[in-house]
Amino acid sequence: MSGISRRKFLKSTVVAGGSAAAAMSSTKSFAMKEFEGYPESMGVLVDLTRCIGCRTCEAACNKEHGLPEPELPFDDFSVFDQVFHEGKQKRRTTEKAYTVVNRYDTKAQGAPVYRKLQCFHCSEPACLTSCFVNAYTKTKEGAVIYNADVCVGCRMCMVACPFSMPAYTYDSALHPQIIKCNFCYDNRLTKGKPPACVEACPQEALTFGHRKTLVKTAHERIRSNPKKYVDHVYGEKEVGGTSWMYLSSVPFDQAGFNTTLQHHPILDNTKSFLGIVPMVLGIWPALFMGFHLLAKGGKGDKESKDKVEVHGE
Amino acid sequence: MKIRKIRIITGIILALFFISAPAFGVDDEPPTSVRIDSLSHLYEGVDFDHELHVDIEENCSVCHHHRFSSEVAADRCAACHSECGGTFSPTCSDCHVAEPFTGKHIRQMEEDPHRFHVDITGLKGAYHLKCLNCHIETGAPTECVDCHERTDAGNRFYSSGKYAPTGGKSGGSHE
Ligand code: SF4
Ligand code: SF4
Ligand code: SF4
Repeated sequence: MSGISRRKFLKSTVVAGGSAAAAMSSTKSFAMKEFEGYPESMGVLVDLTRCIGCRTCEAACNKEHGLPEPELPFDDFSVFDQVFHEGKQKRRTTEKAYTVVNRYDTKAQGAPVYRKLQCFHCSEPACLTSCFVNAYTKTKEGAVIYNADVCVGCRMCMVACPFSMPAYTYDSALHPQIIKCNFCYDNRLTKGKPPACVEACPQEALTFGHRKTLVKTAHERIRSNPKKYVDHVYGEKEVGGTSWMYLSSVPFDQAGFNTTLQHHPILDNTKSFLGIVPMVLGIWPALFMGFHLLAKGGKGDKESKDKVEVHGE
Repeated sequence: MKIRKIRIITGIILALFFISAPAFGVDDEPPTSVRIDSLSHLYEGVDFDHELHVDIEENCSVCHHHRFSSEVAADRCAACHSECGGTFSPTCSDCHVAEPFTGKHIRQMEEDPHRFHVDITGLKGAYHLKCLNCHIETGAPTECVDCHERTDAGNRFYSSGKYAPTGGKSGGSHE
């Protein structure tokens, strides 16, 4: 016979139940405080069923931002065969390219799928939350922009970003900085013009508009063509919503998307963590490695570790 | 004197109007060729062989939606448009605007509650989605230069041809 009396047992379950209820209500209050994103936020809906992998968007971005000459011409499609890290990783955004298009030969579809990749411009960006000098800003137009003048080069944002978007100019010894897509904020977004990549895309695979409207447009495209699309708008909910969203004809994991991302912002984790952990600079790397793993679906599996190692390069 | 001047100018404007937008009724013969070049910059314009395409596809509605007396091609359109006659214009650019993503146009599409068609592609998107999808399906040519030559500005844009990075090769196809 155990030492716990029935009465005690009942009492403890009540307490446990109570704390569970308390936990639930605190989650709820979190949810109620949910930031829905700026109402005027712009966004881009990337429709993978329209993309033909022409790389015109890459060229447009390169020219718009005066980025370095590419290694291969933008009409050289052999780049789609490039793989890194023992074939596990396709091309990624770099300090020379804010955006890259990759090809996926999927099981679900005879023809390949192409995916344009750039900063997702999250509604509640982990890069921003992780930066302790506030080098990042989420503007009311939806862009997540970065200020190199205050950046101290700690590269926490690179680890925190669930999409591994920020790149770093390692080879600039004097003024290294973070490089990522800025939604063409200065020259276009603030002037009522679409991003350069959107304007250049011949297929209109990129639709620019208010994020709110684009969510509706996306669901309407699915509704009116249910056989064509997977019934999911990637980025509508992932990590609390992103300004760039995707539609696809193949399951998203087959087009290179991380489908294990949480649906609430990574900020929430940060908030509760920061509540208990003293803000000692020394522990930040370990802390954000934790966020990174959380962002990857909380799985500290081998794949995530590989990805983390990639950052350290 | 003044009135004559006005008359001449009006005449010129009207003449220009008729040259650029020939009135094209339901019973008229379709054009044999259409020059598509309003957007040409990275590529030359396209001399679209309309006659050839009419021979290949008899149902005008495949491209012109519910235009003319031909059957409405898409079920989705037919739900409302099977009985309502043709669209007001056969010209792509009358509905598909050249700049669909200006702040002004985005607002216009969002703010008119009576507008049903809100997800209309721009002109460039309309051309490429319509032409290329059909070319892929029917095994017709699909490389960019099969329809329009690359311009010098285009080569510069794609860092290709004489603008190719040193050491890099130029041009390519999906094959
Ligand atoms: S995708 Fe990454 S870099 Fe871009 S806003 Fe989100 S967290 Fe920041
Ligand atoms: S939005 Fe601007 S910066 Fe971002 S990928 Fe497109 S062209 Fe480049
Ligand atoms: S320009 Fe458009 S169609 Fe071409 S690769 Fe980029 S997104 Fe795809």
